[in-house]
Amino acid sequence: MGTIFEQLSGTLTHLGEKQIVTFHLGSLQLQFDKAAMIMSWIVMALLIALALFLRRALLQDVEDKPNRVQAALDALIDLLQSQLTANFSSERLGNELFPFISTLFLFVLFSNWLGVIPGLSSPTQDLNVTMGLALMVFATSQFLAMKAKGMKTYWKGYLEPMPFMLPLNIIGELSRPMSHAFRLFGNVLAGTILTTVVMAKFAPIIVPSILNVVFGLFFGAIQAFVFAILAVAYINVAVEN
Amino acid sequence: MLQEAQAVASGISGADIALAAKYIAAGLCMGIGAIGPAIGEGMAAAHALDGMARQPEMQGALMRTMVLGQAITESTGIYSLLIAIVLLFVV
Repeated sequence: MGTIFEQLSGTLTHLGEKQIVTFHLGSLQLQFDKAAMIMSWIVMALLIALALFLRRALLQDVEDKPNRVQAALDALIDLLQSQLTANFSSERLGNELFPFISTLFLFVLFSNWLGVIPGLSSPTQDLNVTMGLALMVFATSQFLAMKAKGMKTYWKGYLEPMPFMLPLNIIGELSRPMSHAFRLFGNVLAGTILTTVVMAKFAPIIVPSILNVVFGLFFGAIQAFVFAILAVAYINVAVEN
Repeated sequence: MLQEAQAVASGISGADIALAAKYIAAGLCMGIGAIGPAIGEGMAAAHALDGMARQPEMQGALMRTMVLGQAITESTGIYSLLIAIVLLFVV
């Protein structure tokens, strides 16, 4: 009876296993997860290579008729702008943060899609990666809130509406990056676990590829969009109130 | 009869009971934890659909807001998923 579960968890243990690499930087000791680090580098290299490749098509006179690549890129930028940063309450903030938000979106999108390729894994199925991204959004939102409201109003905001609400406000503020990171991590990990279980135990041939398309490509794109739009919403709320 | 039951019971160790409790807990956690997000996301989709049927020109904005709302609603489901994963593979 227990053997089925034991076999299943035997298949899945490699998901939780971490190969830790340790760097010594002076007295500082830095530990990294090997798979997450290498896969993140692959995603970054892909994005940079794509950017350099597409940049060649844009090196032309402004007077010239736009070529096909430029037209496609224009459409992509328009789409990102209208879907993501148009949700900022001020247009100035939207233009300022457009590179940040669209980079987040593209990084998470390519990370999620990387898991579809056999032998590679999504860096976003590691909580450290998603937590890093979420903390980046958190720091940005706090910095912009301080800048927009001024130090005094910002710190006073924690005492609203009553001073005894301070712990609740702090917890509410800190729970945002937590849920932001856990959402992406949980979704990607659930897809990976389901695909792995089905591939190892039930149907090794055709069904996993369908699951890969649904979980890897479709849900991956939706989760990347949700991650970026939540970043927009969190920054917007922090700056507004 | 009694002796048979005793023989079976003496073969069950504490570790077996802990293992069974782990799987039952993970199943309950996911099963009960999925009810709330399912209802919430369904309601969001239903009302967004209502709005789209009434005003088809608002489709883009409604879709975006619906996905955002569903993502936030989903977080409790994700928490229960994480706890189920922790129960199964970590504890």
